[in-house]
Amino acid sequence: MGALTLGFRKGARCGRPAPVLAGAAGVVAAAALALGLGCDRDQVSRATVDTRPAAAGQAPAAPATPMPEPQGAMPPGAQGAMPPGTLPPPPRPAGKGALRWALPKGWTEAPGGGMRFATLNPPSALGTAGTAPLEVSVVVLPGAAGGETANVNRWRGQIGLPALDEAAVAAARKGVRSRAGEVAVYDFTSDGQIRTRMVVGLLTSAQDQTWFLKLTGPEGAVAAVRPAFMKCLESLRLD
Amino acid sequence: MTSLKPIARQAWALLASLPVTIVALALLMLLVVACTLAQTDLGTLGAVDTYMRSLVVWYQPPAVPFRLPVFPGGALVGLVLVLNLSAALARRFEFQPRKLGLWVVHAGLILLVAGEFCTGAFQVDTRMAIEEGQTVDFVESYHQMELAVSDRTDPAHTVEYGIPDALLRAGAVIPVPGTPLSFRVRRFFVNAVLARRVETDPPALADMGAGAGITVTPARPATADTEVNATTVAVEPLAGGRSYGTWLVSAVLGAPQAFIHEGRSYALSVRPRRYYLPYTLTLKKFSHDVYAGTDIPRNFSSLVHLSNPARGEERDVLIYMNQPLRYAGRTFYQASYGKGDTLSVLQVVANPGWLVPYLSCALITLGLLAHFGITLFGALQRRQPAPEAP
Repeated sequence: MGALTLGFRKGARCGRPAPVLAGAAGVVAAAALALGLGCDRDQVSRATVDTRPAAAGQAPAAPATPMPEPQGAMPPGAQGAMPPGTLPPPPRPAGKGALRWALPKGWTEAPGGGMRFATLNPPSALGTAGTAPLEVSVVVLPGAAGGETANVNRWRGQIGLPALDEAAVAAARKGVRSRAGEVAVYDFTSDGQIRTRMVVGLLTSAQDQTWFLKLTGPEGAVAAVRPAFMKCLESLRLD
Repeated sequence: MTSLKPIARQAWALLASLPVTIVALALLMLLVVACTLAQTDLGTLGAVDTYMRSLVVWYQPPAVPFRLPVFPGGALVGLVLVLNLSAALARRFEFQPRKLGLWVVHAGLILLVAGEFCTGAFQVDTRMAIEEGQTVDFVESYHQMELAVSDRTDPAHTVEYGIPDALLRAGAVIPVPGTPLSFRVRRFFVNAVLARRVETDPPALADMGAGAGITVTPARPATADTEVNATTVAVEPLAGGRSYGTWLVSAVLGAPQAFIHEGRSYALSVRPRRYYLPYTLTLKKFSHDVYAGTDIPRNFSSLVHLSNPARGEERDVLIYMNQPLRYAGRTFYQASYGKGDTLSVLQVVANPGWLVPYLSCALITLGLLAHFGITLFGALQRRQPAPEAP
């Protein structure tokens, strides 16, 4: 570095403003600006993602889930691994432990993932544009899944309703008989200008599993499909 | 005021002095050594953040409840160096052609340090994983996470809001612009271990969703390059004057959890911070070539299709080792692979100042060559024999 400083003349006077000074000051200012602006990157982002199925001839979009773990690495060595210890969903019942139902006419069914066992879709024409989709989620959890009151209050919380005590939960409970056993039915509607209604069937099986069949959607659309949903609950059986 | 003038003059002289330059460069050398050694424990990113991109290097001795500043950080030393070089240039500037090379060298050095500030502030390192046949329009951060709030009301499209982990601090209330939602952060864990609750566990952090049955134990934040944090947050959605309870959202909880407000369905998840792109890449083929008769890799390459309807661009690009795709401010490097050679992972770097180091190195080289040439020319002239006396 000594060679770099040979041009420094000890005690040289600072003459008129030098163009180099202006340039250097500009660089410093740019660096300070960069540091300052860099702090503004942490803001809430927004993006609209097309979720329609790919058109014929187009490649399918990447899944919403993060990337799978690569098996090999090469310099510079991106790993792309997900956090270790991912909590696995409870095992899915199969065979005799699996719940069966008679699908109402015009409805469709899709297998679920994770904790969701299946999704039942009423005819799409019954949904209302701009509101949460009309659908039935079928979820199975081991054991009592936290208890009936806690579950009822979780469902109520999902549509912004306050929690109920045990007596109020018991009062809200209706029963439906099925071949799989007694199904507890709860029916709640949210407050607000656009109301969401939720009808839930809860069944505890002999295999110590708790099944939830939850119909959710706009209030009017749920009212339209509720009779079919109740028949679906009555048709439940454990093969 | 007059008494201040000598002090200001002395300060100015000190700032522009050669000893400050030498001390700053020596400190930088020590920092580089320390940073290199620390990568064993902290990983590349952790070491760079601790030693190079900080104003002060902190150390917490055992049995001491607070950290102590033990060394100036790279950012502080770099800033001093830039100021020192700038002041030296201003103080000693003389327009003499024989010193032109030296001024260019100093300008290049200043640019080099300033470029590192720019890189530290603006560079975004991300990755993109694509399976053969898939189309991807986003990249994900290696180390930063986000609380993703997905409005899934419309079946044709999802509106994704990302709250970066830097905002997720306990007690914070974070509004989500364009929605009636706010999120109160109850607890935040950079890294955590999750387990199903048993009766002897303390009360759950969450009273809604799957988190009501889960116990969270804080864990040491990941530092090694190969580790990934299981970032976990307990949040309370607030909307329309109502609370939607406390939800536990974690990178290690598979399914998103949803609630409905005024007919709109919002799903919550924690994932690597995502940056959406105005164009897409489709992986047509990934190739993993080896030397004949061995398993030694010879080449990795990804044949991708770039589609940018806004620019009317539709073309194929081959990305392979040391031949990245540079497009729209991002550079896509071939970085990794998986899934039986059907998955390609690209490292994606966005650095607006990527040209600065090249420019500064070119300036320094030019300056040194000029200075050498001028000095050599002067020396040759001086060696010419003096004309003989008559």
